[in-house]
Amino acid sequence: MTRVVVSGLGVVSPYGTGAKTFWTGLASGTCAIRPLTAIDTEGFRSRIGAEVPADVLASLGPSRRRARADRLAMAAAREALADADLSPTDRACAGLFVGAVGGGMLEAEAWYWEETRTGRPSPRIGALRAILPSTHAETLSSRLGLCGPKETVVMACASGAASLALGFDLIRSGAAPLALCGGVDALTRVCFMGFNALRLLDLEPCRPFDRDRKGMSIGEGAAFVVLEEAGHCRARGGRAYAELRGAGMTTDAHHVTSPEPSADGMVRAIEEALTAAGRAPGDVGYVNAHGTGTPQNDRVEALALARVFGPGRVLLSSTKSLVGHTMAAAGSLEAVASVLTLQHGLVPPTANLRVTDPEVPFDCVPETARAVELDAVLSNSFGFGGQNVSLVFGR
Amino acid sequence: MSASRRVVVTGMGSVSAGGIGGTAVVAQILAGAPSPIRPVRAFETAGWPSRLGAEVDDAALEGLLDPGAARRLSRICRLTVVASRLAVEDSGVPRGPALGLVVGTEHGDFRSSEEFVTGYLKRGPSGLSPMIFPSTVMNSMAAVAAIEIGARGPSITVNQATVAGDLAVARAAALVRDGRALAVVAGGVDEMFAHVYRRLSEMGMLSPAAGRGTEGCRPYEPDHNGVVLGEGATFLVLEDLESARARGAVVHAEIRSAAWGNVPAAPHTAPRRRRDLHSPALRALVSAGVAPSAVGTCYGSGNGDPALDDWELGLLAADRLPEPRSLASRFGQHGGLGALRVAAALDRLNKVALSPTTLVMVHGLARGGCRTALLIGRAA
Repeated sequence: MTRVVVSGLGVVSPYGTGAKTFWTGLASGTCAIRPLTAIDTEGFRSRIGAEVPADVLASLGPSRRRARADRLAMAAAREALADADLSPTDRACAGLFVGAVGGGMLEAEAWYWEETRTGRPSPRIGALRAILPSTHAETLSSRLGLCGPKETVVMACASGAASLALGFDLIRSGAAPLALCGGVDALTRVCFMGFNALRLLDLEPCRPFDRDRKGMSIGEGAAFVVLEEAGHCRARGGRAYAELRGAGMTTDAHHVTSPEPSADGMVRAIEEALTAAGRAPGDVGYVNAHGTGTPQNDRVEALALARVFGPGRVLLSSTKSLVGHTMAAAGSLEAVASVLTLQHGLVPPTANLRVTDPEVPFDCVPETARAVELDAVLSNSFGFGGQNVSLVFGR
Repeated sequence: MSASRRVVVTGMGSVSAGGIGGTAVVAQILAGAPSPIRPVRAFETAGWPSRLGAEVDDAALEGLLDPGAARRLSRICRLTVVASRLAVEDSGVPRGPALGLVVGTEHGDFRSSEEFVTGYLKRGPSGLSPMIFPSTVMNSMAAVAAIEIGARGPSITVNQATVAGDLAVARAAALVRDGRALAVVAGGVDEMFAHVYRRLSEMGMLSPAAGRGTEGCRPYEPDHNGVVLGEGATFLVLEDLESARARGAVVHAEIRSAAWGNVPAAPHTAPRRRRDLHSPALRALVSAGVAPSAVGTCYGSGNGDPALDDWELGLLAADRLPEPRSLASRFGQHGGLGALRVAAALDRLNKVALSPTTLVMVHGLARGGCRTALLIGRAA
């Protein structure tokens, strides 16, 4: 069986640029959720989120005319490729899988707002050229010289994780020896307004798995990893951070926005990932949970984990409590968090967790990171449309 | 995942400007009904550079959706639900965890995004509809279709210009081949929406680009001068051969191989480079163990976009493949077109007196460099 390793990491998060910066923030339990400045929040219930700081965005290079999301994606992708130390020849045969939802919507919204409010044509119309999510993949492939299979995957909040699952399949099928996989989303007004309208946003920084949690906090970012066939990585002298051992993808086919109450779809995704990894539930020491902080998600996810692992049989924590819910980027940011958790033997905490919900029968690592020797880690990502993706990483 | 499997097509469902139905209806449409491209009726095009389109007759959808769903779902979701259900009924494939879904789309549900935002711009936060918001996410069509057809395996939405449907079918073939699902409903969908139509027209993407020549869709022709938009949804049922045989399904053809790749090009550009060192067309042939001469017919994604048409012709010639045929002049450019091309390939294999070993290639190329190749043959 072909083995797939993670040989490069790249991140732009609300903490700043770089996988190291991301890990430092996670390990210290620093919550990056604060009042939003990138979009107008006047009149909305929740006015907070986790955004990439303006000075960090300004440092992302000279192409300020590009869409915010394109710039986040490009910076994270460049870091991952540089970290893997790939030659131009290696890049030329690399696949590209991008999880995306918002595309260049932030800039397109500004155009639409202006035209609608003034009734006159706006010079911002060029923003429409980058509005579609697929623009990210076109930008990355052309700028970075990637000639392998290219896909833009839109699976709501599971998009980033799905990009890794599909890259994993590509390499295991032998169609390419490596792939750049990840997700990106910038803040958009539509997303912010939509989750406000659904009343799914907490007024305070989110508190996943807390008894008194009130909802999620939105965020933005990008994370990419280089997945590589283990022999290919070894032969070129590359470094393997971890092994991606299995991936599961299922659908609830139950409701557009609500998870199936029995957690059956989530359970099938987790079990499929474990089976593909050749691992038993007892081999997994930590779960990087989807953990949004909405009452419904956390309850159903805890039920799924209890069904697979047994109550209290695994540690879990939520990266979203620290950097918000970064939408299409979340699954890949959390994949990077999972890989670094394995590497450092340190489980990042769940921030803002005061009293664990009795319906969440697990140690959710409140507030402070914990040193734990781990052999395997599970990363869960779920999304609107009943999308469930689980990834199993091993040392 | 299990070992590699053989992938066959066991059904189809289509909602296009040409008509609505399963395999038999699609065959009739392909047999030569007149092109439904005509002046757009759904919205006013006066003053815009373009006026043609291939529209779905909404009245024909009545009776195919229950009134509750018709009221609740956005228009593009209605197209998706009806076409995917027709495909499943045509195939008889069972619902459940072994059934996957792949939806390709070029534009998604911009109508819902516009409606959602307009509520805010007119009435502030109180004007936002929580019911509309989920439809602004591009996987909303897959979400409702998965519920409709009971697809509880992987459900994937791929966003891609020009070849969204081709890429969806290729992705689905890989899901079956790799053992992620025993069957996958795969295809694409798009709808004509006034804002998108107008902007593409003003950007010179639609015929007659920059006002040059007569408006119309003329792929690969010397006087091609832009795309004519269409709309609709077409889905195929791709299935593991053994599984299809075990349940006694009608096997229309086999997807002998599927490959896709990227010819690096800046977003929205078509550089006419004839060299593709990683040609998916050649990889598909190698994977099937055949030479280019085994391809008797090639369906291409030519849609009248002069730069893209010429680029595709150059790449196919470099790979020594036959000159392509296009269906864009019959149905207009939209996300379902790739699946319609596969349907045409199936139809040709089963009706035309080709040698039993002759294959049909469905080739796709988009601005920005996404390139797809599906190699289709009779199921042995």
